[in-house]
Amino acid sequence: MVAPAASPAAPAPASTVPLKRRRAKADDGVITVGRSRAGTILANAAGVVFSVLMLFPVYWVLNTAFKPADEVLALEPTFWPTSPTLDNFISAFKAPLFLKDMLNGVIVTLLAVAGALVVGFLGALSIARFSFYGRKAIILVVLVVQLIPFLSLLIPLFLMLQSADLTNSLIGVSITYLVLILPYTVWTLRGFISGIPRELDEAALIDGCTRAQVFWRIILPLTGPGLVATSVYGFIQAWNEFIIINTLNSPDKQNLMAWLLQNQTTRGTAWGPLMAGAIITSIPVVIFFLIIQRNIATGLTAGAVKG
Amino acid sequence: MSVVDSPATRRPNDPGRSQQNRTPGHAAPKRRPRGSGRTPWLLALPALLLIAGLLGYPLVRMVVLSFQNMRLRELLSGRTPPWVGFDQYTRVLSDNVFWAVVGRTVAFTFVSVLISVLVGLGIALLMRRVSRGVRLFMVVAMMFVWALPQLVAAQIFRWMTDSDFGVVNYLIDLLPGVDYQNHSWFVNPWQGWSVITTLVVWAGIPFLAITLNAGLTQVPKELLEAATVDGATPWQALRNIILPILKPLIMIVTTLSVIWNFGLFTQAWVLRDGHPEPQFQTLATYSYTQAFGQSRYSLGSAIAVITVLLMLGVMIFYIRQMFRIGEVD
Repeated sequence: MVAPAASPAAPAPASTVPLKRRRAKADDGVITVGRSRAGTILANAAGVVFSVLMLFPVYWVLNTAFKPADEVLALEPTFWPTSPTLDNFISAFKAPLFLKDMLNGVIVTLLAVAGALVVGFLGALSIARFSFYGRKAIILVVLVVQLIPFLSLLIPLFLMLQSADLTNSLIGVSITYLVLILPYTVWTLRGFISGIPRELDEAALIDGCTRAQVFWRIILPLTGPGLVATSVYGFIQAWNEFIIINTLNSPDKQNLMAWLLQNQTTRGTAWGPLMAGAIITSIPVVIFFLIIQRNIATGLTAGAVKG
Repeated sequence: MSVVDSPATRRPNDPGRSQQNRTPGHAAPKRRPRGSGRTPWLLALPALLLIAGLLGYPLVRMVVLSFQNMRLRELLSGRTPPWVGFDQYTRVLSDNVFWAVVGRTVAFTFVSVLISVLVGLGIALLMRRVSRGVRLFMVVAMMFVWALPQLVAAQIFRWMTDSDFGVVNYLIDLLPGVDYQNHSWFVNPWQGWSVITTLVVWAGIPFLAITLNAGLTQVPKELLEAATVDGATPWQALRNIILPILKPLIMIVTTLSVIWNFGLFTQAWVLRDGHPEPQFQTLATYSYTQAFGQSRYSLGSAIAVITVLLMLGVMIFYIRQMFRIGEVD
């Protein structure tokens, strides 16, 4: 029936199989079973249709955000903004609390990420570089706490922070976010640290380094990329959170996500500015995400769970 | 994880970290330099304290709360709420509304995970079959979807399914003989849930497809070629070669999807404007509404405890999988 395409490694054996699919050479690991030209065209068409369908909502939010107000609420939607405008973005920026909540979000996120990075790095160092009684237990704790639905802890957390007078404060939320991203941070950094060959440590120790020097001169610099990836992921987590901050704080102490939620319910029909606000809110996340997407994919299957 | 120990430091009885046939129960001789007793604990201490204080203690407090009766009065006065034993649980468990919520959450999880994993696997297989340019386009499209914050994605869907100006109604209305003008998607719960499911599946596909696609690149090509030479149909190759090799990965992504979808909150919350009607409540939104909407903190806690207990089996399974594939050592 269908001849298998020549594998990239070995040229087709003296053959009746014509070498017409050259692009197969460039692919690695392409599944060659059932390859045919018509099939490839069909598959490509399906791939394009799928991608277009996936992108449609993204395209639609962009399309809406750049439309003038009367076009947004048109009974017959236009599929391309005929007179693109930045009005929606301007009115989002001018909307009450938008800038304030943006600043709040930045503060809370940075505090949480910085804290989680320091604390998490030390914890990761402990389970990656030392063998001690109880190490397995710590690993188990780190893995298990990631699986607890954080939302279910919101009731006791709210009561705790309430009695500590930390509701309606950026500090309370920052600490909460710190703990939210901490298990993931420990787990991911553990992976990066144990990737550093231990011979390097030993060589440095033999050459007279102290343990502290080994840390500062070898482990910390070599974990650099890991620290970046981990902190970016933590940033995304904290930036995207809105349920906790919406529950704990009043609107002037919330972040942009909670702002979006508030504005959806209070001004239900202002879709243009809302979509513009959604784009502004998403931009840092999307950029960061695209930078570290490889690490996220491996990190997730390696035992980390989105909060 | 892709991080690999150098051969010299690797355990002698561990041929490869991600191999399945590791021998359990053998202590690792001289694997790590002995810490000077207290150092590792001192390093881990801040993290452990934070986890204990803000994850462990609340977990205990949640269980304690579920045996009390904490209402707004106790919250404001700061008095210890009265102990009520299993009252909250009997109340929850004898409530038909609660069982409807459980049934709905389980049904949604089952359907949405099934669709997501099947479509994700299909897309992953498709990615192996298309030309390079198309594959790149698919990856870029999925990356954008994956990167979108949950809340934003849900708001986009809310806008697209708006009854008056939503593009979905407009497009469906274009079909001959169909009147979808001003159609409200959330009057009929089946329709409403199909919108929520579409949103969840759409948002979940990128993770599944891209992860499974990465797994597919590990399937040895020689096996597939040998199968073809021996006359296997593509379907047989898929069932007898690809799926068995991919099984551990499929298990993990399925388990993760179950955990995530079972905790559905954002999508239902946003699409229903922060006030989900009874027919759109899930366990997560139900617990939240009871606690923060009705100030029944103890009842909400009892529901949360039951939710965690319902998830326990899946979570243990996940942890065991992680240990089995050797990610944890």
